[in-house]
Amino acid sequence: MAHRLLRDHEADGWERSDFPIICESCLGDNPYVRMTKADYDKECKICTRPFTVFRWRPGRDARYKKTEVCQTCSKLKNVCQVCLLDLEYGLPVQVRDTALSINSNDAIPKSDVNREYFAEEHDRRARAGLDYESSYGKVRPNDTILKLQRTTPYYKRNRAHICSFYVRGECTRGAECPYRHEMPVTGELSQQNIKDRYYGVNDPVALKLLNKAGEMPSLEPPEDESIKTLYVGGLDKRVTEQDLRDNFYAHGEIETIKMVLDKACAFVTYTTREGAEKAAEELSNKLVIKGLRLKLMWGKPQAPRPESETSEGGTQQVAVAHGGMLPRAVISQQQNQFQPSGPGVQDQPPPMQYFNIPPPPQLDRAFYPSMDPQRMGALVPSHDGESKSGSEKPQQGQHYPYQAMPPPPEQYPTQLYPPYGYMQPMPPYQQYPYHPAMPPPQAPPATQQYQHSGPPRPPPPVSGPSTSAPPVPSSSGSAPPVPGPSADASGSSHQ
Amino acid sequence: MPKVRTNRIKYPDGWELIEPTLRELDAKMREAEIDPHDGKRKCEGLWPIFKIAHQRSRYIFDLHYKRNEISKELYEFCLEQGYADRNLIAKWKKLGYERLCCLRCIQPRDHNFSTTCVCRVPQHLREEKVVECVHCGCRGCASGD
Repeated sequence: MAHRLLRDHEADGWERSDFPIICESCLGDNPYVRMTKADYDKECKICTRPFTVFRWRPGRDARYKKTEVCQTCSKLKNVCQVCLLDLEYGLPVQVRDTALSINSNDAIPKSDVNREYFAEEHDRRARAGLDYESSYGKVRPNDTILKLQRTTPYYKRNRAHICSFYVRGECTRGAECPYRHEMPVTGELSQQNIKDRYYGVNDPVALKLLNKAGEMPSLEPPEDESIKTLYVGGLDKRVTEQDLRDNFYAHGEIETIKMVLDKACAFVTYTTREGAEKAAEELSNKLVIKGLRLKLMWGKPQAPRPESETSEGGTQQVAVAHGGMLPRAVISQQQNQFQPSGPGVQDQPPPMQYFNIPPPPQLDRAFYPSMDPQRMGALVPSHDGESKSGSEKPQQGQHYPYQAMPPPPEQYPTQLYPPYGYMQPMPPYQQYPYHPAMPPPQAPPATQQYQHSGPPRPPPPVSGPSTSAPPVPSSSGSAPPVPGPSADASGSSHQ
Repeated sequence: MPKVRTNRIKYPDGWELIEPTLRELDAKMREAEIDPHDGKRKCEGLWPIFKIAHQRSRYIFDLHYKRNEISKELYEFCLEQGYADRNLIAKWKKLGYERLCCLRCIQPRDHNFSTTCVCRVPQHLREEKVVECVHCGCRGCASGD
């Protein structure tokens, strides 16, 4: 060790650095990582010059990782010092180079003294501040690269290595063995060589990826010509409707965008079929918004459904649509319905869960008054009597369907539908137990709000019809103050 | 380590009672010393040495401090003759170190980031439950476990 301290490091061209050049996957998910730094600890696997080795543990279930190649070598190819994959795209060098048509291979010598000399020169120039021709930052990403790139960190590569004793059946360490007790995956991919990977020559993983890229299917337009809707999957709360709009507007006029956050998807409908096809062609496999890779497929048409009224057709019907297959849910008229109802309607439980009442037949004609028990004056039992709290609490969502009483006439137009799906406003004698003077509809049923208002609402603000509106009608304004007192109410009611 | 009974050494009273056990432990230590290293890891070869040293010191410490069967004179005699490790026993007298395995495991200079060995961490605070520390093969010497 002493000889290391006495040598003149500048003269030798040994490398020192302050922080490793690594990718997110190699750094790990723990924000409190502890790293050791050892100057000139090992020689670079490529250029064999001593360099600063950093060693850390990238997460709880990870092995310790250390830098394998020096910073000079990693800068020359713009790769991570540990995994030798591209820093921006997470791809092997060969893949990135063929996709972007960069060929720097001839410039870097690969053997003996030439290599060391080149590395040292490069290092010297970099330290002196001379800008070398690094084209990596300037190249525009093209289609292929966007399709192939890795968008989220991949922590599986940080797992411990396979226990070779276990493979032979001889591991005596048992439970405390830190290596993985699994059989190794053999195949062509396991014969990798660090130099081949670095120089981008004869890399099996790269070849596999390139083949896959060539065969990635493009999205075919469906035969049914009337479908103008694309299904976008894999959404997150970070992706907003505006993001979708920005991405999709370029290909055609968007008719509507509907986001179904519950199922992490969205449906984009174009006014023209051509627009939709163009968007599908351009964006399939390439849609990445805010780092999230999104899946693009064609939407499926919805089966024609009985509707009593077009614009106010049963919300439950829509709910059923969502309870079923997602891609079916998008047809323009459905979307129209959705605009007023707000996006969360699919949260509603299927309309079939009535409490003691058999579900009424779903016809597209008007119902007769005699078909509705409530119209005939029968009292529909509710769990908490006349306290609206029951109606608010989802409680398997069972109550609300029948507490979704047809609202008083003045509220009706904006209101949600009663589960029975009929349209007529109720005759006056309906109003009796449920509707004391109602504040004007805080109607627009925002189902999501309903779900959130766990604690029962105090009767006055939200009584009667608004309770009948299954989603908690409260606009966001009323929601926050209510949980306060209602929490007490719920507390006391439980005693 | 004195293994032979010479005439020059004056043994205090009570020595005859503890002598057989100490001879046994010495024999055990000798076996551990000449054990071949085949089939063992590089660090694993030293583990029995630490283990027996701990055991020996523990015997004498227990006799004097816990069971009070030995006079102070005999105890000091044992320490001086090398039948127990004085420094290790000094740690055992401290709160929290009653079950310390060896002195290496609490030496921060021997570890990265100036910590102690993983065997000193109580089991309910650890992530991996089963662990053998690399210095002495200890599986957990925190006082609570």
